[in-house]
Amino acid sequence: MLNDLKVSAFLAVRAIKRGGRAGFVLNILIIAMVFMNMILLSSIISGSVNLFYEQTIDYETSDVIVKPGEDKRVISSADELVNKINGIPGVRRASPHYSLGATLSNEDKSISIPVTAIKPRDETEVTKVSETVVQGNYLGSGDLDEIIIGFQVAGNEDERKDFFDSLGGAEVGDTIEVAFANGVIKDYRIKGIFQTKSWTVDLTAFVSWDEMNSVLGYDNSEASEILVKSMKGHSPEEVKYSMLTFNVPDKIQTWEESMTGIIEDSLETFDIINNISLFVSLVIAIVVIFIVMMIKAINNKKQIAILKAIGIHKNIIVNSYVIQVLLISLIGIILGLIGIEAIIAYFTAHPMEFPDGNVTPYVETAVLIENAVMLTAVSCIAGYIPARRIAGENILEAMR
Amino acid sequence: MLIEAQGLTKTYKMGAVEVNALRGVDFSIGKGEFVGVTGSSGSGKSTLLHLVGLLDDATSGSLEIGGTDISGLSDHEKTEFRLRRFGYVFQDYALVSELNAVENVYLPSLARNEDKDTAEESALKIMNTVGIGERADHLPSELSGGEQQRVAIARALINSPEIMFADEPCANLDSVNSKNVLDLFRKVNEESGQTILMVSHEEWHAEYFERIIRLHDGEIAEDKYL
Repeated sequence: MLNDLKVSAFLAVRAIKRGGRAGFVLNILIIAMVFMNMILLSSIISGSVNLFYEQTIDYETSDVIVKPGEDKRVISSADELVNKINGIPGVRRASPHYSLGATLSNEDKSISIPVTAIKPRDETEVTKVSETVVQGNYLGSGDLDEIIIGFQVAGNEDERKDFFDSLGGAEVGDTIEVAFANGVIKDYRIKGIFQTKSWTVDLTAFVSWDEMNSVLGYDNSEASEILVKSMKGHSPEEVKYSMLTFNVPDKIQTWEESMTGIIEDSLETFDIINNISLFVSLVIAIVVIFIVMMIKAINNKKQIAILKAIGIHKNIIVNSYVIQVLLISLIGIILGLIGIEAIIAYFTAHPMEFPDGNVTPYVETAVLIENAVMLTAVSCIAGYIPARRIAGENILEAMR
Repeated sequence: MLIEAQGLTKTYKMGAVEVNALRGVDFSIGKGEFVGVTGSSGSGKSTLLHLVGLLDDATSGSLEIGGTDISGLSDHEKTEFRLRRFGYVFQDYALVSELNAVENVYLPSLARNEDKDTAEESALKIMNTVGIGERADHLPSELSGGEQQRVAIARALINSPEIMFADEPCANLDSVNSKNVLDLFRKVNEESGQTILMVSHEEWHAEYFERIIRLHDGEIAEDKYL
């Protein structure tokens, strides 16, 4: 068995060394291209998913989010709970949110969105929304009669550029009217406009906790949710577990657990697209390699028959073709890998700009290995079948 | 007897037409004989060589080689038989184009599990014997017809086969090279006692043979020792 493989390798190496260079190089390029194609789309999808995850953590949920328990609309005694959470090991900071439905109006334009009350000093430690202010300034703790709005809320003067209803190009310093769900109507000066590129966040507005107290007419102690940032070196899961052991009531979720419904569906759709692309790439690889190896085997039909005639076993001959394909695949995959790394390096320096943010292709080592193994396996199969077929022909007929 | 054939027939089907290439031939060949199989074109001489050389299967009849009934052998066993007990020299040399001369010669030894260095050493020794040693590193495409045939003979000899089969080995050679090749066969036969079964249609080759089996229309027309 081992000796048979040695003879197969001997024949394969000679065939590659002394066979047609053009065909060899062509095969390698095909494998390299197929491999790059297999990885590239999945890397862009992974990059988009990573961007989505980052946006979720940085702007929406932080590492851990506390939501009202079952059958509850709000978290009560939020201040006490926030203090308690801040004392739990592994927690860097907790920040309460209180949201109230509102209709924002700017001249003849209006948009209905939740307006969220935040404690700006806590919030800057928990989310990165403060770092995304593109016009004006972020909120201060005692700011009254001022609001910061998302980029999508501000919108554009030319409404064709907007994906949603907007304030038609509101700018910092403009005064807008906000009609809250509790019936209070107030004018606010836009203090800042933020652009996180996460559409859900860019379609919100923030006011200070004190401002919301004035809207509600009392010192609010309730929260719609509490965002919790973990310290470096502590995973969201660890922090969640600690919070559970410290008997934090209400519903505690890591950022990952909080993503449900449409988000999961979107990720599944990404997976489906990726798998279809992968399947098509593999089919292309199989078909091309099959054709190339079939032509090679047909051209070498007489040579194969000669080998059989002098007593070289069929499996040695077939394996020599499989080894050739294996070598071609390995070189092609290495070449493809270099190509992928070059593309990733380029797009890391110049990220792809999407409406949702700048995407940098991302490839996990496991994905690379998995695809390399898959491509090698299908290539070997595609090389094996034609070689087996030609090697199975009658010696004398093949020698003619 | 080394080879015993009885009622050996071979029928080819070409569409609806059946062609009887061999019609029940009986013969036996002893160890060390140099046998020439002659006859006109289409007489069945190559078919006979292919059947005895296990390159093709008989339609009917029995064949024993070295006491082994060939009809009971699997494809794998036949390949093993060809590797270990036979040597072949074909009309068109049949060298592997991607291997150089010495690699062509020692390939059967590698397949017999011999170490590469030893195999190469033996190959070079045989190549020197057949006068092609200095062309060891050349590819078949870089060799003349006569040189290629010498490489093929060296390859046939590398595993010291019990029987050497030669199918019109001089058909593509000029008279000088043909004579050299035939001298080589005679030398091998005389010095190593190798059994040789050679197909030829050239009358003058007969002087090299020890025995001639002449075929006509798929039957043995003459079988004589010279």
